[in-house]
Amino acid sequence: MSHLRPGRVSLDPRFAPPFPEAALIMLRNPQLRKNVGHAIDVIQAKRGKLVVEKTDWQALRSAASAIRFHVLDNLSAYLEQFETRCIAAGGHVHWAADAAEARQIILDLLRQENATEVIKIKTMTSAEIQLNSFLQAAGVSVYETDLAEIILQLGDEDPSHIVVPALHINRSQVREIFARTMNLKNLTDDPKELTNAARTYLRQKFLTVPTAISGANFLVAETGTVAVVESEGNGRMCLTLPQTMISLVGIEKVLPRFQDLEVMLQLLARSATGERINPYTSLWSGVTPGDGPQNFHVVLLDNGRSSILAKTKERQTLKCIRCAACMNTCPVYRQTGGHAYGSVYPGPIGAILTPQLMQMKHAQSLPYASSLCGACYEVCPVKINIPEVLLELRSQVVNQERKQAGRFFDLMYLGLRIANLIFATAWGFHAAQRIGRIGLRFFTRKDGWIHALPSLGAKWTQTRDLRGLPKQTFHQWWAERVKVKK
Amino acid sequence: MRASLFITCYNDTLFPETGQAVVRLLERLGVDLDFHPKQTCCGQMHANTGFRGEAFSQAKRFVRLYNDAENVVIPSSSCVAMIRDQYPGLFEELGNDSLRKDFAALVPRVYELSEFLIDRLGIEDVGATFTHRVVYHASCHGVRALQLGERPYKLMAKVRGLDLATLPNVDRCCGFGGTFSVKNAEVSSAMLTAKLQDVLSTKAEYCTALDNSCLMHLGGAMHREYAGMKTIHLARILASTEADSEDSRTEASR
Amino acid sequence: MKQPVTSRQQILDSIRAATPTAAKDASQLAEAYADLPRAYVGHGSLSAQARVELMIQRLREYDAEVVECTPAKLADTITAQLAASGRHLFVAPPGTPNEWMVTSAWKITGLEWTIDHGLPIDEHEIERAEGVVTSATCGIADSGTIVLHHTATEGRRKLTLLPDYYLCILRASQIVETLPEYFSRCQPPPALATYISGPSATADIEMTRIKGVHGPRILVVIVVRDN
Repeated sequence: MSHLRPGRVSLDPRFAPPFPEAALIMLRNPQLRKNVGHAIDVIQAKRGKLVVEKTDWQALRSAASAIRFHVLDNLSAYLEQFETRCIAAGGHVHWAADAAEARQIILDLLRQENATEVIKIKTMTSAEIQLNSFLQAAGVSVYETDLAEIILQLGDEDPSHIVVPALHINRSQVREIFARTMNLKNLTDDPKELTNAARTYLRQKFLTVPTAISGANFLVAETGTVAVVESEGNGRMCLTLPQTMISLVGIEKVLPRFQDLEVMLQLLARSATGERINPYTSLWSGVTPGDGPQNFHVVLLDNGRSSILAKTKERQTLKCIRCAACMNTCPVYRQTGGHAYGSVYPGPIGAILTPQLMQMKHAQSLPYASSLCGACYEVCPVKINIPEVLLELRSQVVNQERKQAGRFFDLMYLGLRIANLIFATAWGFHAAQRIGRIGLRFFTRKDGWIHALPSLGAKWTQTRDLRGLPKQTFHQWWAERVKVKK
Repeated sequence: MRASLFITCYNDTLFPETGQAVVRLLERLGVDLDFHPKQTCCGQMHANTGFRGEAFSQAKRFVRLYNDAENVVIPSSSCVAMIRDQYPGLFEELGNDSLRKDFAALVPRVYELSEFLIDRLGIEDVGATFTHRVVYHASCHGVRALQLGERPYKLMAKVRGLDLATLPNVDRCCGFGGTFSVKNAEVSSAMLTAKLQDVLSTKAEYCTALDNSCLMHLGGAMHREYAGMKTIHLARILASTEADSEDSRTEASR
Repeated sequence: MKQPVTSRQQILDSIRAATPTAAKDASQLAEAYADLPRAYVGHGSLSAQARVELMIQRLREYDAEVVECTPAKLADTITAQLAASGRHLFVAPPGTPNEWMVTSAWKITGLEWTIDHGLPIDEHEIERAEGVVTSATCGIADSGTIVLHHTATEGRRKLTLLPDYYLCILRASQIVETLPEYFSRCQPPPALATYISGPSATADIEMTRIKGVHGPRILVVIVVRDN
């Protein structure tokens, strides 16, 4: 994308720069880091209080994890059941193997209705398939209705979080965007005023545009129900006022029975926004005469999910309920924000989901965008062992590397291969220690510390000193002690 | 009580004084300690970077080496986490039944240092004196993988003269993450700066932890920035007695 | 002639190939489902009184206004609330009990009811209304949630969405403590449901919670002490 602003990173994993490069751009933006840090501090504090209050929190997590694993293990049966029930209730179900097919199905449905405008509820799945730009190019005006999505759309910005996509933008930045695009010269940066501006801007759209697009938080197989969870009411507007409703949903989002919502709804809002429950949850099955859209379509999206399903260790990635608790707690995300991950799915979940949706052909730097601290696993409401999946994906990236001729020019790769030889025998290890100590002597200052190293070592010494290697290793000290004792 | 010390590759090379402190401490507590001279590395660096085959060969070597050990003590939580959490998967994928059997028999006998003291020896008061203000950095492997919980705090509570500071955001990662510190050096440094702010705000004289990996990262920045705080592995605090608490200051500065 | 494989077939085939341990039939599936661990709290332990108090407390936490009354005083309380709202034109679902609407006090205060008979009443009619009054299906105290199944006394979904003021009548006997308790009552599950927990809000701008984006900005709940 040649017209990207400097400092802007593509969120298309095929074109985004590697994480270390993208992260560096973000690290140099103090306003961004401040905005991100503030937002996640607020959510974290609220979530923390509610988790303590919920004495059966761990039992809920266990149940949710088990339900999600059960669904994944029986996914075809549950999807077919959902389809049957949804159709019986008057809905239509379409299956899209990939992003291109999903886009085309949606466009065809819009064309059937002669729709030139659509109102949209926030859905990351639509961002995943790059729906908006496709529709705009085909002559359909897309109106985002979620406040964060409006901010992003009007400001030509990219989402940086899957629940609060504009968390990297502060109030004065929002004011500037609204004042400019809504022609409101006297707008202040008071969040109340800004929100009111959005309310007025959208009211007419809600009342007049006959076609809407949504995602879904959950599908229920037993009843053919779609569930959408939200805070603002724009969801309810889009779900009840238009004539035609199209819901784009990943195949992994189905739950077995209506009752299973009792587990998910207790976990989702607490994890996502630090509330006991979100203001509005809408559930509907197919079509109800006299209430809401009479023309309802579900587009089930695969786009790489079934191949993730096939992998034993990685399958748990699909348990995700898109709460973003992982990125709220991630110490890496805290410093870089979401754009550094070059994907609409950032943070820990993005680091495992994005490369897998790309069939490991892109975003290979993402599994390394983690210090493996494990905080994400601790907070994940469905117990995805993200570190375990990260390690598995790292091993796949290395195995790809092994096949490439250029690997001999990769210092990291070579270094690790040599290190393995060194660790294979005591004499190799000890010899390497001696060579290392002699080699590093050149870089060791009088105070016994190393201030600057060349090559890969420079990555350490650009911000840290390294204490010089002591004259005697531990094993040498021990050997001497043994001798003396004798 | 017999125990075999697995010093870890980086402690052997970079922090021998930590190993010396572990020896002094455990022998003072009556442990008959031995040291297998053929030990090298547990394989964590390779496993965490995606080199599973290489990690497996090191893991196999570890299990063979300590087959007969009564107890294995390791002054590094990340290495113990590697053994407990990743060895099973490696042996499942690449090992054979005999190796898996040997590992299953060995793993209950592997202890991180504070686990060995509290759980195996049943001791909280190790007879230590360390008259300084100290801040404890709870490394991620210790907190989450090993669930060390109160163990280090119980040990520190019995150290005479130790003034323990409260560390804000104690559960937040310092940013070391092994090869992450090099592969994502800038992000690692950003995390380090944030951590350092919290650590330095305690106005402690020493920052301690159960992992020299984190301490190398924190201490490296403290030294670069002339920060006026030093790092010291908890083993050295626990080994320190009335007699040598005067010298400990000079020693720890190296 | 070989039929082209539909995406549906392709996707289902991929899924089946990826899930060799899937249940072989419906009864095996049901068995596996029944075995799932559910150690979380099902039935709450609060007394009926405490439950109602909790519901009221949670509603107030969301800045909803809560008024209590006895069943005998319900019509009067509705009148008083509507009169105090400063609004005049209200819309109500077709199943609304007559006694809520017909009181002499009303003729004085000039309140006007429009009943949504589900005829092609377009949004602009509902848009004209300044407030809506309905009953509810259930109240969930733990989360301060009002549950609507959009029956004749609750109205179709747009009714409780477009007006800016929403007066909800909730009987104490309808209040349960936990979400699982509500779901255990959903036999069979509703075709339509809306769970309302406070007025609409957003925290998209600097995480500052702003009330009232779309949807009613004012929520008033009358809790009828019928137990």
